[in-house]
Amino acid sequence: MSELNKLTIAEASKKLQAGEVTAVDLARACMEEAKKRSSLNAYLEIFDDVEEQARLADARRALSPTKGKETPLLGIPLAIKDNILIEGRKVSAASKMLENYVASYDATIIRKLKEAGAVFIGRTNMDEFAMGGSTENSAFGPTKNPLDESRVPGGSSGGSAAAVAANLALGAIGTDTGGSIREPASFCGIVGFKPTYGAVSRSGLIAMGSSLDQAGPLTRSVEDAEIIFNAIHGRDPLDSTTVDDSLYPKKTPTKKIGVPRALLEQGIDKDVLETFNQKLEVLKANGYEVVDVDIPSASLALAIYYVIMPAEVSTNLARLDGVRYGLSLKGSSLLEDYAKTRGEGFGPETRRRIMLGTYVLSSGYYDAYYGKAILAREKLTKEFVSVLQQVDAIVTPTAPSPAIKIGEKSDPLSMYLLDIFTVTANITGNPAISIPMGTVEREGKQLPVGIQFTTAHGDESTLFNIGKQIEEFMH
Amino acid sequence: MISKEEVQNLAQLVRLQLTEEETASLQRDISNILDYVGQVSSVNAAGEKDKPVLRNVMRADEPRPEGDQLAHKEEALRAAFPKQKADFNIVRKIIQKDE
Repeated sequence: MSELNKLTIAEASKKLQAGEVTAVDLARACMEEAKKRSSLNAYLEIFDDVEEQARLADARRALSPTKGKETPLLGIPLAIKDNILIEGRKVSAASKMLENYVASYDATIIRKLKEAGAVFIGRTNMDEFAMGGSTENSAFGPTKNPLDESRVPGGSSGGSAAAVAANLALGAIGTDTGGSIREPASFCGIVGFKPTYGAVSRSGLIAMGSSLDQAGPLTRSVEDAEIIFNAIHGRDPLDSTTVDDSLYPKKTPTKKIGVPRALLEQGIDKDVLETFNQKLEVLKANGYEVVDVDIPSASLALAIYYVIMPAEVSTNLARLDGVRYGLSLKGSSLLEDYAKTRGEGFGPETRRRIMLGTYVLSSGYYDAYYGKAILAREKLTKEFVSVLQQVDAIVTPTAPSPAIKIGEKSDPLSMYLLDIFTVTANITGNPAISIPMGTVEREGKQLPVGIQFTTAHGDESTLFNIGKQIEEFMH
Repeated sequence: MISKEEVQNLAQLVRLQLTEEETASLQRDISNILDYVGQVSSVNAAGEKDKPVLRNVMRADEPRPEGDQLAHKEEALRAAFPKQKADFNIVRKIIQKDE
């Protein structure tokens, strides 16, 4: 019974159905481990009613004629990123600005997870307002990588990734604006999946970049990611950017995988690239045709992202002014009230992005930055659509390096470069998944690195199929 | 490199109080980032120019009960007010003489 917290969701679900374990057993196992590893700072809060939630799930199963067969998440303990609203619970986006804010409604994905019977263990640490790739930007201290506590877990969903990797939950929900699910999954050696833009409702997520944000799962297997995706996706009247499954035409698989070689020529650790190339050979040996593809605008992806994202951040975070909710500090005038509240409530990276976003939107610079970025975004998206008509998936490493040391990158631009392979899928709206592809050695420690697949819009099924095969090949 | 005055003007626009030190570091950081993201101006997107990037999504105008969305939420919204009195949110006067 002691290893219950290490099960995959699929395994735990079978055991629950068979009556071998209860949801209470699973929840307790996760919470015990969370207490033991509190130094990781993965959770900002462990909820005080976890066992009660688990008991309700067990009761619901007892009443089910099929023992919950059609609800694979019934009784499964999940960790929830601290920017997703759960009614009546605190949700801070790891910011002092919202330190004591209590959600007044459920995010749509939370409502769906509740209907599916999932048990919420707690809310996980993150970079403030999901801005960062290391979880060092949390107002409540960094999360540590469970595999090497001197290193970051990645970010911004670093608490969620650490919780899954350290077995403090069976799965977790994160959000991904430029790689915030996939990069921490890569750094922590787990699976991280960002759905097609519009596949999952954003209602009730604390917005960062509204044209880029998507929520998705961090799990121990591709199958688990699919189970969570099946529960949370779908059109939602509360988010007009959600789409029907039928919107995108279904593709016939070609068993061809495309490699954007030009992107891999620089800025990537040598051993990460070697590991990646070995995995391409494995793909070839297993019946895939691996071809080089040309995506001319892909080299602009990071620049496009760091214009559009801060522009949307500066707009979205304008609502936090201390008037209706959140931190409210007093100055000597109304203007000072705002400036003091926002100056002290937001951390340095958040302030930087608000400033940058306002700059690229301001008159005189709009055409040179934001205007160009949206044109380049459109062009890049078309290139992706076209390439993905020829191949089933585009493959890259998830990140150019394994997990970095806490405090290693103090220059913001060098930190941004970690996002080089992940931002593209957010810009184009394609679904993408990071799957562990092996390890590289740093200071005598084996650190995981991930491989990232991107498929056509709405083609999650191909992504999951390739993902499951990759997992098999890697074993 | 963007000027100190530009940084101060931006801070004023976005309502952020900055220290002298942070003003200087933002001047440096924002300039570095702008140098990098300036690459976007090299994009040759003549073909994209006239086409709309976004499209409108409309929903059916269906009636629903009054106050449906906010049912039972009043208390929670009130509880979030930074400063309150008798169920009202206390805010500073907007139109006032400069003090």
